[in-house]
Amino acid sequence: MKDKLLGYMGKVLKIDLTNRTSEDFPWTDKDRERTLGGKVMAADILLSHIRPGMKAYDEDNWIVVTTGPLTGVGCPNTSRFNISTISPLTGIITSSNCGGEFGLSLKRSGYDAVIFTGRSSSPVTVNIINGNVTFDDASALWGLTTGETQEKLPAYHGKLVIGPAGENKVRYACVFSNERTAGRGGVGAVFGDKKLKAVTAFGVKIPEVADRESLRKLNEKWTNTLQNHPLTGRQLPKLGTAGLVSPMQAHKILATKNFSAGRFKDFEKISGEELAENHMLSNAACTTCVIRCARTVCVDGKHVKGPELETLGLLGANILNNDIEQIIKWNYELDELGMDTISAAGVIAFAMELKEKGLWDCGLEFGKTDNISEIFHDIAMRKGNGDILAEGTRIMSEKFGGKDFAIHAKGMELAAYEPRHAVGQGLGYATSNRGGCHLNAGYMVVVEGLGLDVDSLTPHGKAALTIAFQNLMEAVSACGSCLFTSYAVLPGFLIDKPNWFLTRAILACFPYVGPVVNLLSHFTKVAAINIPLVPHSYALKYATGIKSTVARMLTWGALGYNTERIANIVLGQKANADKLPKRLTNEPQDPSDPRTKVPLEVMKKVYNRARGWKDGIPTYHRLKTLGVRISKELYDSVVKEAYQNGKSDC
Amino acid sequence: MAKVTVKLFGVLRMDTKLKAEEINIDKVEDIFDSLNLIVDERFEENKKSNPLLPHPDKLSFKDAVIFINGERCAKKSKKLSDGDEVWLLSPASGG
Repeated sequence: MKDKLLGYMGKVLKIDLTNRTSEDFPWTDKDRERTLGGKVMAADILLSHIRPGMKAYDEDNWIVVTTGPLTGVGCPNTSRFNISTISPLTGIITSSNCGGEFGLSLKRSGYDAVIFTGRSSSPVTVNIINGNVTFDDASALWGLTTGETQEKLPAYHGKLVIGPAGENKVRYACVFSNERTAGRGGVGAVFGDKKLKAVTAFGVKIPEVADRESLRKLNEKWTNTLQNHPLTGRQLPKLGTAGLVSPMQAHKILATKNFSAGRFKDFEKISGEELAENHMLSNAACTTCVIRCARTVCVDGKHVKGPELETLGLLGANILNNDIEQIIKWNYELDELGMDTISAAGVIAFAMELKEKGLWDCGLEFGKTDNISEIFHDIAMRKGNGDILAEGTRIMSEKFGGKDFAIHAKGMELAAYEPRHAVGQGLGYATSNRGGCHLNAGYMVVVEGLGLDVDSLTPHGKAALTIAFQNLMEAVSACGSCLFTSYAVLPGFLIDKPNWFLTRAILACFPYVGPVVNLLSHFTKVAAINIPLVPHSYALKYATGIKSTVARMLTWGALGYNTERIANIVLGQKANADKLPKRLTNEPQDPSDPRTKVPLEVMKKVYNRARGWKDGIPTYHRLKTLGVRISKELYDSVVKEAYQNGKSDC
Repeated sequence: MAKVTVKLFGVLRMDTKLKAEEINIDKVEDIFDSLNLIVDERFEENKKSNPLLPHPDKLSFKDAVIFINGERCAKKSKKLSDGDEVWLLSPASGG
C-alpha cells in the first residue's frame, strides 16, 4: 500500500446547518481501509454519534452522504452514493442509495462524504464548490416540486433536492438527484426537518488511482462482462426491472391485493413487455452505467423516467389496477412530489384493505383508481386523510388495527416480491437492517426462481445464502457500485440454460451449500483470493492500493451489517425484532399447500447462529472480531434495554 | 396433436417478436421447432423491408423457463393437451 490511500479524495466535510458553518471531519486512511466507504462508512460514523433515545427529527440527528472508493475512478456503474440517517419511518438507521450525479460531483469537489448536522432556521441551499461551502436562502424554492427545484439550480452542478413531501415531513419522503432517487426510509423528511431544500456540488478534482493501467484493462473487461451477461447485458437493457413482472407472476411472487396472493390475472397489462413495446421511448442510465436499465416514457408531453418493477407491481397488482398509463402518470407525480413509490403504494394498499375489512374508510378501495392522484397530493401536503397516510403503514395499523396484514418489516413497507413463494426472500425482508427492503434483504429472489431456479419453498440453505448475499451487496454498495453489478456474480451459463441437465444438477445442490458458505464466511483465509466473478475486488486493489480479496469484501459487508444492527439496538430496536406480518408467516398463500408460507423462525434460528447473533443482536465478541466500534459499557446497557419490555414494534 | 397457446415473455419475446401463438403439437420439445418455423417465416417477410435485420437465435428447450397452465415444467417429453397454455420465459433480475 502507498503512503496515502488512493481512489479517495481523503477529506470528509461536516456542515452545521444551525450555525451555517463547515469544517473537516476527522477521517483517516485507517478509517477508510477499515470501512471502505458508502453505507459501511456511514454506519460507522453514525454509530460513533448516536445515543439511546435519539430520534429522526432531533436536531442532532446527522445526515451522512457518502461516496465509495470506486466513485469517479472510471469503473462501470459506479456513480452510486449513499445517504444514511435515523429514519422517521422506522426509528432506526436507514441507508438509501442513489444513482444521480451528486456523488460524482461531491467527489470532484474534493470530498468523499458530507455530514449535515443541526437544523437551519429557514429554508437553505448548501453549495459545495471546489472545496468551498456557501449557504443560499432557499425560501423561493420551498414548495416547488423536485423537477422544478432542480431546474432553478445551476445545470452543471450535481444536485440533491426534496419536494413538497420532504418539506411536510411525510415519513417516506425521498431525496432526488436528477431523476434518480434515494428512495427508502424517509431521508427526504429528515432533509425537510432540517429545512435543507437542496445541496449542490461541483468541482474539477479527479481522484488518483494506484495502478491506472491495470484499472483501465479491468474496466474494459468488466464492461464487456456486464454487457454480455444474460441479466445485465440482455434482460435489464431490453426490459428494465419491469421485465420481472412476468417471471414474478409465473413464480407466484407478484404481490397482489395487499400481499394476499402471488398472481394477478391482468399481469400482462402492467408488464415490462407492455412497457417496452407500447410506452417506452428510449433507454436511460445513471452516469457511468453500461447496463442502461432505466426507461424513458412520455407524460403530458414531457420525456420522463418510467416506472420500475416495484412501482408497476405495487401500484398495479397490489391494488388490483391493470392500467399501466395510470401507473406511469402516478410514478411521475410521486417523483415530482418527492415520495417513495414503494412505501406510498404499500400505504395505499393497506388503506384499501382497511376499508374492505370495515376498519377505516378514507375513500380508497381495491380496483378504484380515480381518486389516487388526489390522495398522493394530499399525502404530500399532509391534507385531510393524507396526514394519516403520510405516517406509514405501521403507525396506521396501530391506530386502526389490521396489524396481521400491515405489510411492513420494522416499519418499512415491503417491496413487490410476495415472499410466501420465495421463503429466503422472506428471511431477508425480516432480517434486513433498514426494514422491508428487497435489496438490503440480500435479494434471494434472484436465486429462488427469477434468475436461477432453486427450490423457492425449502428453508434449507437459505440462511447461509441470505447472509452471503447481504454481505456481498453491502460491500458492493460501499464501493460506490450499482448493486446490479453483483448479479454478474451468477455464472452466465446457469442463467442462459435453465433446462440444461448440468444447470439443474448444480441448482439441486444449492439447498445444501449452507455449511460451505458459512465456512467461507468465518474462515476468511479460505477465500482470500480474487476471482473474475467479483471484479469489484480487483478494482479496489487497482484504485486504492488496498489488498482486497473476495473474503475481505465479505468481511467489509459483515462489518457494515453488524454496525448498522448494533446502531439499531442503540436506537431502541428490541430483541427478536426481525419479524414479518402474520399474513406471510401464518397463512399459506395456497391453502392446499402448507409449505407456501415463510417458515421464518426455522430460518432465523440458523441465520442468527451463522451471523454470531442472539435474538437478532450481535454478540460483543462478534462485534469486536469485526472491528465494530462500541464500548462494552454502552453495549451492555443497550442490550439490557433491548430485552426489557421485550416486545418489538413489528 | 393438441392445440395449445404458447406465450413468450422477456428476452425471448423481445428477440423473436413473438407474443402469443396457437400451435398444434404433441409434447413440450415440439414447441421449439414450431416456433422456429414461425420465426423463420416472419424473418423472411420482414427482411424485405429491412435487409439489415439480424436473424434471431434459434429457440431451444435448454434456453427457456417453461410453465404449463401456471406450473413449472422441466420435462421435454411432457405430453400436452388441447387448451393448454404454455409460458416461455427468460431468466430475469432487477431491484
